[in-house]
Amino acid sequence: MVGDILQQAGFEVVGEAETGTQAVEKYKQLRPDLVTMDIVMPDMGGIEAVREITKFDPGAKVLMCSAMGQQALVVEAIQAGAKDFVVKPFQPSRVLEAVQRVLG
Amino acid sequence: MSIDPTRYAELFRTESREQLIVINRALLALEQGGDAAEPLSIIFRAMHTVKGMSASMGYNALAEFAHEVESALDRVRRGDQQPGPDMMDALFASADALEAGLEAATEGARQSPAMAAALERLLAVAGERAPGGPSGGELPAAGYSEAAAVVQLPAADPLGGPGVIVRVRQSAGTLLPGVRAFLAVEKVRTLGEVGAVWPPIEVLQTSESPQSFAIRVSTLASAREIEAAVRSAGDVEHVEVDMAARTRRERPIALDAAAERAEPAPVGGKVTRHVRMDLARLDTLMNLVGELVITRGRLLQLTADHGKGPLDDAMQQAARLIGDLQSEIMTSRMVPVWQVFDRFPRLVRDASRQLGKDVVFVVEGKDIELDRSLLDEVGEPVVHLLRNAVDHGIEAPAERTAAGKPRAGRLVLSAARDRAAILIRVSDDGRGIDRARVLERAKASGLVDGSAMELDDEDLLRCIAQPGFSTAHAVSDLSGRGVGLDAVQAKARMLGGSVTLKSVEGEGTAFTMRVPATLAIVRALLARSGHERYALPLTHVRETIEFGEHTVQRVRGREVLVLRDEVLPLLYLRDVVRQGGAADAQREIVVIERGEKRSGLVVDELIGQLDVVVKPFDAAREGLALFSGATILADGAPALIMDLGSLFGGV
Repeated sequence: MVGDILQQAGFEVVGEAETGTQAVEKYKQLRPDLVTMDIVMPDMGGIEAVREITKFDPGAKVLMCSAMGQQALVVEAIQAGAKDFVVKPFQPSRVLEAVQRVLG
Repeated sequence: MSIDPTRYAELFRTESREQLIVINRALLALEQGGDAAEPLSIIFRAMHTVKGMSASMGYNALAEFAHEVESALDRVRRGDQQPGPDMMDALFASADALEAGLEAATEGARQSPAMAAALERLLAVAGERAPGGPSGGELPAAGYSEAAAVVQLPAADPLGGPGVIVRVRQSAGTLLPGVRAFLAVEKVRTLGEVGAVWPPIEVLQTSESPQSFAIRVSTLASAREIEAAVRSAGDVEHVEVDMAARTRRERPIALDAAAERAEPAPVGGKVTRHVRMDLARLDTLMNLVGELVITRGRLLQLTADHGKGPLDDAMQQAARLIGDLQSEIMTSRMVPVWQVFDRFPRLVRDASRQLGKDVVFVVEGKDIELDRSLLDEVGEPVVHLLRNAVDHGIEAPAERTAAGKPRAGRLVLSAARDRAAILIRVSDDGRGIDRARVLERAKASGLVDGSAMELDDEDLLRCIAQPGFSTAHAVSDLSGRGVGLDAVQAKARMLGGSVTLKSVEGEGTAFTMRVPATLAIVRALLARSGHERYALPLTHVRETIEFGEHTVQRVRGREVLVLRDEVLPLLYLRDVVRQGGAADAQREIVVIERGEKRSGLVVDELIGQLDVVVKPFDAAREGLALFSGATILADGAPALIMDLGSLFGGV
């Protein structure tokens, strides 16, 4: 979903992960410029994954994808290292704005 | 210490009126259903701004009223319900009372009964007064002083201490605003030590809608860097960095200074800077440019006749510059129609409720631009046409459903560009005009020949616009339909345009006003008839054609114009102006039109197309109904500007 928006905007999606563990693995392998991450995931959750990724690479750029009502969790994610967030349902313009902000 | 109200009264009036427009617009959006959060937010902010401004001016009654409305809105917001019709009525009444209150305040009144009444009504629907006077509510508005709307924080100023104060206001519709605020604080943290945050960070993190917050930070970063950091958190509408607070201690902080000095959100993401200007000045500029254009023409003529080399070059350059200047001034006078159309949705809503009709109102072509002076003039006729449509055009809901139509009538106000003219159309899907009845009545009053079998749209308009025609008629479906139409037509003519009508019984009616896009300078054809030259504004010109055997034929002894598939009547300009004499051997034809009607106007010569500076006649003059004004041509000679619409007869 977010991937579609990004692809249409011209970004290349180099990998996808189903669980937090996979996410950390793939990050180490692929070293992407940007990661979009759900908060709720099976196995290792999003917040933990952000923490691991940021520990591995302090400059990692992670954009959290959250649903309404997940305030506290998003705050935790930011404290764990996430740089910004977008809220479902995704509005392409907002997603792209957030991506711009994160990529700087 | 209050500021001197007299100095700022005008500014206050303008600013508060703008806020009222915003409020009305949002109220209408709110009434239509859908997401209530955003419109409520907008109204809340606007009320807050008005409150602050009123307090600064010392208009305490007004400020208190605004405060009460604000609190009531807050309760509605938190109540999380869609406001019902009673609430909407109370809110609209409050907006109107505010408007009345604003006027009264600037004229020196201390109280306004309208406000008291509206407030009672609002409280009846929205619950108790704001607890303990102007305090309470979400933000720590402990009270406000006479002078500025300085919001005093609780006794121990949490933001006290040295440092820079950063006030932030978030965009309307921010998702998870508490988290955004948190993110903003984190970003600012990268620049220095954050001393305190208000509302406290824990409150922010869980808050549904902080809207605005303040941060005190010890940093050596510049204001610009601080602002950039805050904005990098996203969804930030306004940032204010108060560097002066760096050394200040223990002073009450105007927490919502950012909210008070609200700037309108940039349209479409593009930030344009504006300057306020006295309208009269723009008019003066226009006049001066107009004269300059005329003088340019003369200079060009003289240079052509007598000039040489360097003078010629300089003149050419000056001519170009003057042309550019004219363009710029004319553009700066152009204003999108929605500036005037903006108040119509509210108007239509009020009229429909008053008359018991259900109307869906659509505005199209909001961005079409008109010369400012034209726009002011066009408003009145449009209001008239709109009211007329709601009153007489659109049927009552029961009648509509009985006729198999949707319950709600559809009223469309549209603006569109057609070459050098602007078409403003008011159309409804109502009952249409009963032609048979009009014909009957028209015959009875001698407006139409007794033998006429039917009325075309042109004659229909002419008849119902006759003063007294419609009101005298006993039958309700005709009564009132034409009232005031003569005024609308007169206004259109005065502006150099015309009005046309289209109507189909059972389906609806459309009135179209055609006006030139600009008032002061009009594009026109310069035509010669004999020794005289006349300006024919392009507003009513369709095209030009050669006079020849392929275009002109004789039918029953009369000359007619054959234009593709049509046969059009032919008029000689020299006959129209009663010049006498015979036409030149070489002639040209200008095809003119008004509404659906077209004619050919024969002139001796078409000299060219030019921008003509219109000098209107000072007073209506008998026998000059053919002309709408005069102008001075390039060689200094005057020329009359023809009112082409009048050539179609019957006004």
